[in-house]
Amino acid sequence: MNFEIESPLNKEELLKTLSNLQSKKFRFGAGFTDLLIEFKKFNPVETTVINLAQLKDEEFCSIRNDSGEIQIGSLVKLAQICKDTYIKDNFPVLHQAANALASGQIREVATVGGNICQASPSGDLSCALVSLKANCEILNIDGKIRNQAISEFFKGPGKTSLQKNEILKSISIPINHSKNLKSGYIKIGKRSAMECSIVSLAYHFQLEKNGKVKHAGIAIGAVGPTIIFCQETVDFLLKQNINNIDEVLKLKIASMIQNASSPIDDARASAWYRHQVLYNVAKSLFE
Amino acid sequence: MDKKLKIIGKSTSKLDGNDRVSGRSVYGHDIELPNMLYAKILRSKYTCAKIKYIDCSKALALEGVEYILTAKNLDVNMIGYKRDHPILKGETVNCQRDEIAAVAATSREIAAKAVSLIKVEYEEIKGIYDPFEALKTEARKINLNGQGEEKFGNKNIAESFEYSHGELKSMKKLSKVIVSRRYQFPRVTHCCMGTSNITADYSIIDGKLTLYSSTQVPFLYQRDMAHALKMEPSKIRIIQPIIGGGFGSKLDMLPFEPICALLSIKTGKPVQLLYSREEEFIASPTRQAMVIDLTSGVDEKGKFTFREVQITMDNGAYTSWGATTPFVMMQAYSSLYQIAACKFQADAVYTNNPNAGSFRGYGNPQATFSIERNIDLMAEELGLGKDEIRLLNANFPGEITGQGLLFKTCGAKPALLKVIEESNYKMKNREKQSGRYRRGVGLASMLHVGGGAKIYRSDGCGTRLKLDHYGFLTIITGSSEIGQGSETVLAMIACEELGIPLTHIKVINSDTDVKPWDVGVHASRTSFVAGNSLLGAISIIKQKLNSKAAQLMGCKNSDFVYENGFIKACEKEVKIDKVVREMHFGNPNKLCVAEYFFEPTSSFQDKDFKGDVSGNYAFASQVAEVEVDTYTGKVNVINMYVSQDVGRVLNPMGLQGQIEGGLATGLGYALTEEMIYEDGYLTNPSFHEYKLLTAMDMPEVHFYPIETMDEAGPYGSKGAGEAPLIPTAAAIANAVSNALGVEFLSVPLTPEKVLKALSEKNNHKTANSQIL
Repeated sequence: MNFEIESPLNKEELLKTLSNLQSKKFRFGAGFTDLLIEFKKFNPVETTVINLAQLKDEEFCSIRNDSGEIQIGSLVKLAQICKDTYIKDNFPVLHQAANALASGQIREVATVGGNICQASPSGDLSCALVSLKANCEILNIDGKIRNQAISEFFKGPGKTSLQKNEILKSISIPINHSKNLKSGYIKIGKRSAMECSIVSLAYHFQLEKNGKVKHAGIAIGAVGPTIIFCQETVDFLLKQNINNIDEVLKLKIASMIQNASSPIDDARASAWYRHQVLYNVAKSLFE
Repeated sequence: MDKKLKIIGKSTSKLDGNDRVSGRSVYGHDIELPNMLYAKILRSKYTCAKIKYIDCSKALALEGVEYILTAKNLDVNMIGYKRDHPILKGETVNCQRDEIAAVAATSREIAAKAVSLIKVEYEEIKGIYDPFEALKTEARKINLNGQGEEKFGNKNIAESFEYSHGELKSMKKLSKVIVSRRYQFPRVTHCCMGTSNITADYSIIDGKLTLYSSTQVPFLYQRDMAHALKMEPSKIRIIQPIIGGGFGSKLDMLPFEPICALLSIKTGKPVQLLYSREEEFIASPTRQAMVIDLTSGVDEKGKFTFREVQITMDNGAYTSWGATTPFVMMQAYSSLYQIAACKFQADAVYTNNPNAGSFRGYGNPQATFSIERNIDLMAEELGLGKDEIRLLNANFPGEITGQGLLFKTCGAKPALLKVIEESNYKMKNREKQSGRYRRGVGLASMLHVGGGAKIYRSDGCGTRLKLDHYGFLTIITGSSEIGQGSETVLAMIACEELGIPLTHIKVINSDTDVKPWDVGVHASRTSFVAGNSLLGAISIIKQKLNSKAAQLMGCKNSDFVYENGFIKACEKEVKIDKVVREMHFGNPNKLCVAEYFFEPTSSFQDKDFKGDVSGNYAFASQVAEVEVDTYTGKVNVINMYVSQDVGRVLNPMGLQGQIEGGLATGLGYALTEEMIYEDGYLTNPSFHEYKLLTAMDMPEVHFYPIETMDEAGPYGSKGAGEAPLIPTAAAIANAVSNALGVEFLSVPLTPEKVLKALSEKNNHKTANSQIL
């Protein structure tokens, strides 16, 4: 495996490196947990790796919650998410998804940006972020920021809207309007760690005191070409009181979530299994 | 045992533990020799094809390529248990892993590039991947070197075993309940952390070949290598670096090993060949895939009457030691619980799948799964407790089984009673389950050899001892350490007997030019044979020491006590190193050395496979307690209760490691591990898609050793290495069936398989209620 490597130390150097490489083949690397595996499989040819591991700028490397939203830099490591008590208290779905990803060792090096930009339909963190209606903050070589909803950012398996002159700088999540939450991440796999989701379900509901759903987000993973935001279900839920969801309604909601999926057969599981399990775990949301 | 033991029975850290965890251990991958070349193998593109031509010209032209080996002009013998496996394939290829060419180059990158430049033209042939298809008369002969037609009446049978005892017909008549089932088992693999590796160093000056190899049977390997290369065996020296896991995978010599040796012979330079993880999945051995048809019976009182079994094993394209797994399986069918009559037939059938090899448990996990599932079904039909039926039929001390195995000691019943009691089996087994999460318990037992297994002309092991004049002991043992902890047990034995602290004991076990003969690591035999061999050598060296010490202390015929580096007698003491110095530098001017060869008293079985094949036998029972998520089909194993007759516990910590490690393999076999093939191609050659379980999936392990003090083993011990994984899958499947009321006829019990079974059960119910 042979490749050139550039290691910018700050944002300016990064933009410069990026613009110098516009006519060449390059890849970003930060935690390298996916990239090295890919390079081992497909030997890189005339490729430069922009090594982001030494970039120390706050906006890339920190979690901030001072501006009416929570901002997570793309170089934030998954272990940082797991340890962040603000995220744990306010966005359990994100906390649980980060904890469900790969293993303790990998979470110490893998980054938020890397996980998102892989654009895997089964990405754990991505699924949680779609349910939270996160926003991607994308920086181009001129230093300009482009904002895009994360569900728009994903274009297909392994595909994002990122242009060659752009890099994902950070993501932002709107803060909760209510402290009354029902939020979590359900991951279905064969083993308890180092697992790629067979089905995943992320949910984040903000409730009024009486239980009425004020804001809602539901996303499902590994059951379509990208992570799917269950808009129809969310619209339906916004009219509901969480305390009044009876058996009939519960099954109706599960069906709605199930209908949003379009799973396929692959080595991990059959479409039948994914369809069935999605329905079952969707049902469990209100049990 | 009247003697109070000082270190045997006390937890002792592994001698090599600190080196292993600190990264100091030298594995085969760490070896670097001057001018070393790097080898890479070109494997077949097809699973079944004729090779029309191989063109290496472009690869040879690449700078840094020193040699390319193909079958052409190669004067070698075929390898494998049946000598049906060409090292390199020149005319036909029979499976995905088939070796066509091998490159030696100055770097790994150049070797890889050269392999990609070799052109091979094939004529593809439709492969046969199902052993039942291969058995049909119209099927093509798969391995052209096979002798199935002559020996077994079918060209695609590689090996066949038949066994019987008792009156099958009359026992069938006596049976109140008869259960017949077909069980299916996939290929799984060892997942050694260290991938396959070898470094070969041939000297063109003296014609000697040194191999740094991670074989687990160095002396058989030396013989096999010599046969393959048409060399003098003693010109081949095997050095075993630290081995990153064996589990049976390194019992056979595989083509990559003589290939690497040949590249070194041809170039006159050292050559190293390392597998990538993907190659390890594709080209290292697997457990046998097999179909077992088992019929078993029980009389009205609950006594087992007979077992009749037909086994069809997928041998793959070539024959390895793995084809002899029926040898172990027939012991389970004939002798696990009291069995009045047994008829056993097993065929290993050639297919275009990769060849299977040997794997910890050696066929016994599959056999035990079928036996223990059938027992649960018979108990249910008979209306007898699943624990009661097992206790009623349990093996007992003094039993001579239909096959002629003599259980001088037997912990079968105590082990059963222990796990039944500790797990609260009786109560939990009867609990009716409903709701999303359902719990269940499952019980299974096993029988395995515990004192080696006489499958070769000798099942022995040699030991040499050297006590130096500083009081340090070197144990040179024929046995090998492959992570099982035998090195530590040997040092503990020497410490116990000679009073020499562990820090003063070295174990040398990795060089065939130095160490005496041993048949190798298999059949849970190492601590048993090497321990007995060491005790023999210790008794000889003690005679020498006693005689000199008596002289020095001026006392005769006393009881000599060895303690803390001293020899004590007649209220006097002398330092052991002083005794050695006096022997060495004074009269009689002799080295303080001893040697001993231990051969177990076990016997070869006769042509009908009858006879007492092992020095003693190990018994174990396990109860699995599971919780099944009926929404996802995922089986969560909560508790494993394990009781095992180990004769005597030598090193509790080491034993616990064997138990937990074995369980981890058994759990994976039960729940997630499976090599998935499509027309002979492995579709999941990575840890990403081959679901080896992780530490996060381990249940609580409750282990209760049973000590039966078998006089054949060192301090009464028995082999313990394989047993912990053998009944695990059976216990888990029984537990899942208990939780859900559905039956499973194959492993692994993946979430999808479990959910499908549940859904079929529910559909069946709905259909029935609609009819009503």
